[in-house]
Amino acid sequence: MATTTATITLTSSDLLTDSLALSATATLNKVGTTTGLDSIQYERLEVATGDVYDMIDATAAGANKANKIYIANKATNAAHYIDVYIAALAIGRLYAGDWAFFPLEAAAATQDVGLEAIGGAQVVEFALIHEGKTLVAS
Amino acid sequence: MATTTATITITSADIADNSLSISNTMTLTTAGTGTGITETTGLARKKIASATEVDLITVANTDVTAAKSAKVFIRNTSTAADKWALIGVGEATATPIYIGRLYGGDWMLIPWDANANEDITIKMNDATETIIEYMVFFE
Repeated sequence: MATTTATITLTSSDLLTDSLALSATATLNKVGTTTGLDSIQYERLEVATGDVYDMIDATAAGANKANKIYIANKATNAAHYIDVYIAALAIGRLYAGDWAFFPLEAAAATQDVGLEAIGGAQVVEFALIHEGKTLVAS
Repeated sequence: MATTTATITITSADIADNSLSISNTMTLTTAGTGTGITETTGLARKKIASATEVDLITVANTDVTAAKSAKVFIRNTSTAADKWALIGVGEATATPIYIGRLYGGDWMLIPWDANANEDITIKMNDATETIIEYMVFFE
């Protein structure tokens, strides 16, 4: 098994009256266990405008697991953003420089993770840390 | 304006032959600008002792402007590896779009459009009391 951790640190000295300093670390384990996730897909790609493109195809093998996704928008134009979709729902916007990290339910084959570039083509990095997937036969 | 940053670090020495080390810091800004976000719910803690699907964050109960650059942080504070919280977007009384399961100790940070009826929903795997932490940054 592998040991993979994800740590978030949220800080601000002026958002609130008192300083914000929040930190949390998750050890990325397989469903309901303390056995670490042991597979990873890590890519950098350019998302074109004009459509929603599947970044991660939901499969039965990945359904209801503890898989995690990291997505970072590497654009530098503040007006550009990526709409992040799960199934047909745009859940939110990743503006230039933004990142997201979340678990992937993939409860149905239709629950792909899709991206749509708004304002211009944008480079995205993503990592899927998972417990194995079914390869497609050639 | 305020300056709020969120840094993620993902590391592993053994998930592949070479070490994995991803680190990224973002500054939370209003949509399409370099101006820092100035509003937040603050960090909230909610005890959930039910396996019924409910709204964790209801759009109508917040001042979040829809389709901007809001971010939501959620953490399952349980220490039990098999205690999950299924997070979704939509209506708890209908069938939300499920994002994924936060097991004990897991956290997530997502952008949130917060359009009408796009509440953040939660469903625990059992009725054992669990504390969920969450925080919304918005404009």
